[in-house]
Amino acid sequence: MYRIRFHGRGGQGMKTASRVLGSAFFHEGFEVQDAPRYGAERRGAPMNAYVRADRAPIYERGIILRPDLVIVADDTLVPIPAAGVLQGLDNRSVLLIDSATPEDEWRKRTNIGGPILVLPLPDTVDRSSLAMIGIACAGAAARLIGVISEDALEQAVRDELAPLGEAVVEKNIQAAMAGYAAMSDHAGTVSEGVPAAASGAGSPDWVDVPVEEVRLSGPAIHAGATSVEVRTGLWRTFRPVIHYDRCNHCNWVCSSFCPDNAISVAEDGRPVIDYDHCKGCMICVVQCPPHAIESVLEVEAAAAERRGSA
Amino acid sequence: MTDVHFQRMKDLPSTHLLGAGTAMCAGCGGLEMIKEVYDVLGENTVFVNAAGCMTLLSVYPFTPFRGSWLYTAMASSPAGAQGVRDALDILKANGRMTEEEDLEVVVLSGDGSASGMGLSATSGAIDRGLDFIYLCYDNEGYGNTGQQTSPESPHGARTATDAVGPGNIGYKKDLFSIWVANKPAYAATVVGAEPLDLARKIEKAHELEGPRLILSLAPCPTGWGYDPAHTVEIGRLAVKTGVWPLKEYVDGKVVHTRHPGKRTPVEAYLETQDRFRHLFEPVRNDKVIAEIQARVDAYWAEVDVDDGTKA
Ligand SMILES: Cc1ncc(C[n+]2csc(CCOP(=O)(O)OP(=O)(O)O)c2C)c(N)n1
Ligand code: SF4
Ligand code: SF4
Ligand code: SF4
Ligand SMILES: [Mg+2]
Repeated sequence: MYRIRFHGRGGQGMKTASRVLGSAFFHEGFEVQDAPRYGAERRGAPMNAYVRADRAPIYERGIILRPDLVIVADDTLVPIPAAGVLQGLDNRSVLLIDSATPEDEWRKRTNIGGPILVLPLPDTVDRSSLAMIGIACAGAAARLIGVISEDALEQAVRDELAPLGEAVVEKNIQAAMAGYAAMSDHAGTVSEGVPAAASGAGSPDWVDVPVEEVRLSGPAIHAGATSVEVRTGLWRTFRPVIHYDRCNHCNWVCSSFCPDNAISVAEDGRPVIDYDHCKGCMICVVQCPPHAIESVLEVEAAAAERRGSA
Repeated sequence: MTDVHFQRMKDLPSTHLLGAGTAMCAGCGGLEMIKEVYDVLGENTVFVNAAGCMTLLSVYPFTPFRGSWLYTAMASSPAGAQGVRDALDILKANGRMTEEEDLEVVVLSGDGSASGMGLSATSGAIDRGLDFIYLCYDNEGYGNTGQQTSPESPHGARTATDAVGPGNIGYKKDLFSIWVANKPAYAATVVGAEPLDLARKIEKAHELEGPRLILSLAPCPTGWGYDPAHTVEIGRLAVKTGVWPLKEYVDGKVVHTRHPGKRTPVEAYLETQDRFRHLFEPVRNDKVIAEIQARVDAYWAEVDVDDGTKA
């Protein structure tokens, strides 16, 4: 059985990528499961989608703990423990990352033993469109697995995206094929994992919950604004940066429009962005009258911050 | 009625009460509106939330509210509000709560609940003259379950259940008029992109008693298909094109609080969203665009340009 996990953020097309790969397997005669998995969070939050494919009926259910292939469409997720990108990788699992950082650097950073590949996408793939990266990843995965033909892949893109119109389908087929071609030297690198037997599964991590009065054990929250403990700043791929030399302290604009209350007003009237919670929607960037807020790639902003504090 | 505190944008609250860290999508227009409303209502509130996107505001043990919040099934938030209101009244009658400690009971619901399966419970609450605010964020679809067509989806919009062909063949339900026909204490439409107009209306609603409706257009980047950065612009365009009239019902009259003298053509609004893309590409659908424009024109033809009243 093949077990494949796609990692990205809500809105980056991972769900579509997993469906396309699933359909392609199906056209090659496989039994398939594909499903996205996310928590209550929405667009921008780390999520994954998985595909299982086998020539025999699949009895396994739930999340994939021992993947044969992990695809990462957004390399900023790798260091986030909650994203679980590296979970369950062993010496034969393949890790494919869409990244500008080279493979040997990823080996150092992740300290894993299996093959690591960086997806080199040609300029023909529109990198500004996140969905295109997702579909290119599906194409790359198909080639790495080695049992999916170009025809099956193309048919799968058509099946899944037909309602969006012919022009969109064609663009996506191109991106899928670009990913497929990019992995030609590594065709078949991914091998099938052995089916898991129920007898081999360990016992779950039980948590003993004491029996309490309903008043104590019911899901009542006894404090205000506890949501600030959730760091939604992790969702961000772009960071809004205020240039105070251009800011004219009309804080009622940016602080009123920020849906997430991530802009507070300091005593001197300066707006201050709370990067632990800013989700990077960029409403403030668009609304700021003197254009004093700049949108910076999060990875670059974070790197600059590290250099600054070093 | 006391003085209006909010004269200019500058008067808007600069401390914000709603906690960050909620699960709503980046750029959620509904969340933007709720945060603005909460700043005016303050923490002496109980929100009774019908199932929908905003149920995810409070996911145990996290809540963005400084006061109370509880969750009800989609159809029954006005019934939940009745229970809470009765409980508060009993506490006051028993001397266990002072008038100053009293809380404003606010139903928070999506358009699917408000104009669909929750309408019956709302109707009952209006009959009983329940003292509550009904706050509806209208993202024009069943957002939480993937933007299926709701009674508030606009004509021509593509949704998860009208994903192909002409899009939604139905027309948006007029929830504001349903309320107004029953002479509530107050009713108003708002949008997060017009925070001053919103703050004035919330302040007014807060001072009144009885059933009060606040109906907000809630631009939804996920369900409508646009870059989250454009939530405010799209809200403003809805007002400028006349698609979303800003108005209030008070003292037995409907008055428009903003009447776009020269309205921008509706296509400037439609074009911004993927759900209407099929009206422009691959071939322009002049018939449907003209029909949408004609309906907006017909609405405004009945509005008095001088005093903003509607015939
Ligand atoms: C009786 C019932 N039917 C279906 C559902 C599933 N459901 C949960 S939220 C939701 C959509 C609600 O739409 P709306 O009220 O517009 O709120 P939104 O999700 O857009 O915020 C649906 C259908 C439910 N909770 N209860
Ligand atoms: S809107 Fe722009 S100029 Fe105004 S306070 Fe905010 S950052 Fe400064
Ligand atoms: S990008 Fe700006 S408006 Fe959006 S969450 Fe961050 S601070 Fe708020
Ligand atoms: S789906 Fe729309 S309404 Fe729901 S949280 Fe996301 S942006 Fe807000
Ligand atoms: Mg809705």
